Amino acid sequence: MLRANAISSTGYQPVNSNHGLVAHATLYGMIAPTFALLAVFCLIPFLWAFSTSMYSVEIGADPTFVGLANYHEYLHDPTTLISFRNMFFLTSFAVLVTVIVPLTIAKMIFSLSSQRASYWYRVLFLAPVVVPSVATQLVWKSLIYGDNGVVNSFLTTVGLGSWTHAWLSSPSTTLWAVAFVGFPFASGINVLIYYAGLTSISDSVHEAAWLDGATGLRKFLRIDVPLVLSQIKLLTILVIIYGIQGFEGILVLTRGGPGFKSMVPGLWMYFNAFSFQKMGYACAVGVVLFILILALTILNLKYFRSSEDVQEKK
Amino acid sequence: MKFHPKHLILIAILALAAWALFPPSDKPTEASPLKSQLDKKPVKYVLRMAPGVYLPGLQPASAPKPLEALTHVAREYEKFFPDTRIEFANVPSSMREWLVTQLSSAQAPDIFNVNVEDVWQDTQKGWYLPLDDFFDQPNPFVPDNKHWNDIFKYQAITQGKRAPDGHMYCLTYDMVETGIFYNKDLFKKLNLKVPSNFDEFIEIEKALKKSGHVPMTIDPEMLADWAVDLMFDQLYYPIAPLTDLNKDPKRAMYLANYLDWDEIIYLHRKGFFTAHDPRWVDLFRILHDWRQYMAQDIVNLNPNEPFFSQQAGMIWAASELVQRLARDPNLGFDWGVFYLPPLTKNQSRYASGRPMCVIGGSAMQYCVSNSAISDTHDVKTSERLRRVIGFLQFLTAPKNVDAVVNEPIFFLPNVIGVEPHAELKPFDEFLHRPYTSTKWYFTFDLKFDEIMRRMIPLYMDDGMTQDEFIDVMDRAITAAADNITARKKIDFSEFDRIWEQRADLRKKYEGLPDAAR
Repeated sequence: MLRANAISSTGYQPVNSNHGLVAHATLYGMIAPTFALLAVFCLIPFLWAFSTSMYSVEIGADPTFVGLANYHEYLHDPTTLISFRNMFFLTSFAVLVTVIVPLTIAKMIFSLSSQRASYWYRVLFLAPVVVPSVATQLVWKSLIYGDNGVVNSFLTTVGLGSWTHAWLSSPSTTLWAVAFVGFPFASGINVLIYYAGLTSISDSVHEAAWLDGATGLRKFLRIDVPLVLSQIKLLTILVIIYGIQGFEGILVLTRGGPGFKSMVPGLWMYFNAFSFQKMGYACAVGVVLFILILALTILNLKYFRSSEDVQEKK
Repeated sequence: MKFHPKHLILIAILALAAWALFPPSDKPTEASPLKSQLDKKPVKYVLRMAPGVYLPGLQPASAPKPLEALTHVAREYEKFFPDTRIEFANVPSSMREWLVTQLSSAQAPDIFNVNVEDVWQDTQKGWYLPLDDFFDQPNPFVPDNKHWNDIFKYQAITQGKRAPDGHMYCLTYDMVETGIFYNKDLFKKLNLKVPSNFDEFIEIEKALKKSGHVPMTIDPEMLADWAVDLMFDQLYYPIAPLTDLNKDPKRAMYLANYLDWDEIIYLHRKGFFTAHDPRWVDLFRILHDWRQYMAQDIVNLNPNEPFFSQQAGMIWAASELVQRLARDPNLGFDWGVFYLPPLTKNQSRYASGRPMCVIGGSAMQYCVSNSAISDTHDVKTSERLRRVIGFLQFLTAPKNVDAVVNEPIFFLPNVIGVEPHAELKPFDEFLHRPYTSTKWYFTFDLKFDEIMRRMIPLYMDDGMTQDEFIDVMDRAITAAADNITARKKIDFSEFDRIWEQRADLRKKYEGLPDAAR
């Protein structure tokens, strides 16, 4: 709801909140359809999932109320521990590379003296965004990790034929192989987000840093990084959310195998819902993931400083 | 606005993009389902069929043209019933998920191919119609026929497809079986002969490996399906008089000694299929020992490629492979096929030594869904159902079976008087063997299948120890058993009585779990 005091801070006259509802009826009317659609397609299914998680639901059969039995079963499911371990590994790895690699590239582009070169580098880094992620996964699966793929062919060419491997189907390498899909992790969108952050740093800050003798890596770590913390925070939250919810990449690459060596909770939720017809159980997995994402997002917002916090402190 | 060369480039790019959006002309052939569905005329009954491998328009490997026989059969049928049109539908690769959603909303095709063991899981939901009464009646499209049932060639296999509830839910249209396809030229070069037992088979694999070839390739899913069932039968067949608790005369023709889910659950509770069951432990040890003679990457490898490129000496595959082997002009080698030979005492002291059983049988299993009675929702009064059954009867007339089944070289016709392709004759011999003691992969729920399908390759690739694997399987069986016991409301009291009666019999057999004694 629009808040009267928030409006007042912008310089408008304070208005009574009840009055505001009437006064801004047109605005509320305009957002109502959006809210209604949001409720129908997002909020109601979300609440339905909570309720369904308390039932044993098999497609084509009557649902039975089972209380917390689905949660209890998930707690004892042989896949739970390994899938959460995999999810934390893959998400941590993704956060790490998302923070470091695109930021480094953005800084390098930002530091180019030629505006034209800077523009073309941004275009080049952004161009692969048009390739669907599933196509990328399939390319990695067959052309890069395949028996005669890039990795194995390279190893054979340089005389390391004994190192060739079934990278995605070997229990010892599958998780690292999944994590390295997308190497060198120079996602165009992330580069652009960081680039935007770097361009928003005032020239006076750069000049002051130069006068104080802060250049090169020192300036990058002490000046640039703190001032793009908002971007880092945003990307970290997005990567964590995707890392916990996402599973389509693993579905394409390994289906969570061999065994459950690359299983993640989201994929197990999918299998239970649509393969095993255990909709209630799948909803319980979904609710657990929701609580986890909510908790991590709150922690991130509460304890992760943004660039505004840094500037306010200074 | 001033025209600049840049604009020309931009317009050219846009024109190219627009051109790329238009697909090439896709003129439907006479046979394609698209063509038949485009020529729509107003009719009272539009019947939908998902015919599996015989879908018109599909082009089998090395075939000169797409399949079209089923379209012609459908058009002939429509001449008998001008108020009816047959349409053909393809189903997505993840068929099971698709089917469940379609069936639950009564939107499934009237007729579709599905593994009937999957049907058995859901018979209590009313999604599938029992066909027993129709099979007892004459087929009007077959002269002098008194019972539709009588026209089927492989009677034992056909009748063996009855569900545990005693009803028949599918029409067994044709037959499939597996075999070990081998490169005859390579065998000749290495002086290898078709093996008569598993010891000889392993020697062949050793020789192939030594010569730098991959001895054998197989789809990893088939290890969980075929290999487990065949080895299981080899080790458990001798104790079948003890373990076969449920004698079903209707199914005994083909499924003699077959263990259904209720029997497996009961035996599991008695310690079978656990770490305390030496036969069970031996079964998976044998599979693990066999792994060294397969391709490096069994999970992601297309098993056909090494065989066709002559890198692999053998491939364990189903009879569909004959299509490419028989029709590929660039094959470059002579091929043969034999059946997996029996285990010997060298593999396990419990090996029966009897020939390996078969695990194939029915290929296309056409079931009728609840969509077929969508006009009246009553089997007795539904005219639509009569049209559906009529089409199935027409489809099984010998002339039509010959046209449809023998169009590709995939499977063997299951109707008397229709001969298979000569290249498929060896499979006819295989199909006269006894059927497996059970089908683990199709016994329990889909979660159990998924666990089994995943864990076997992992265990075979040393991703877990044998003890860990047996423990995972034990827990998976327990969970699946609890699930199916609740869903099917199984009563084990009769088995308790039979088990008590067999106390003396148990003393005869060695290697039983302690709990079973």
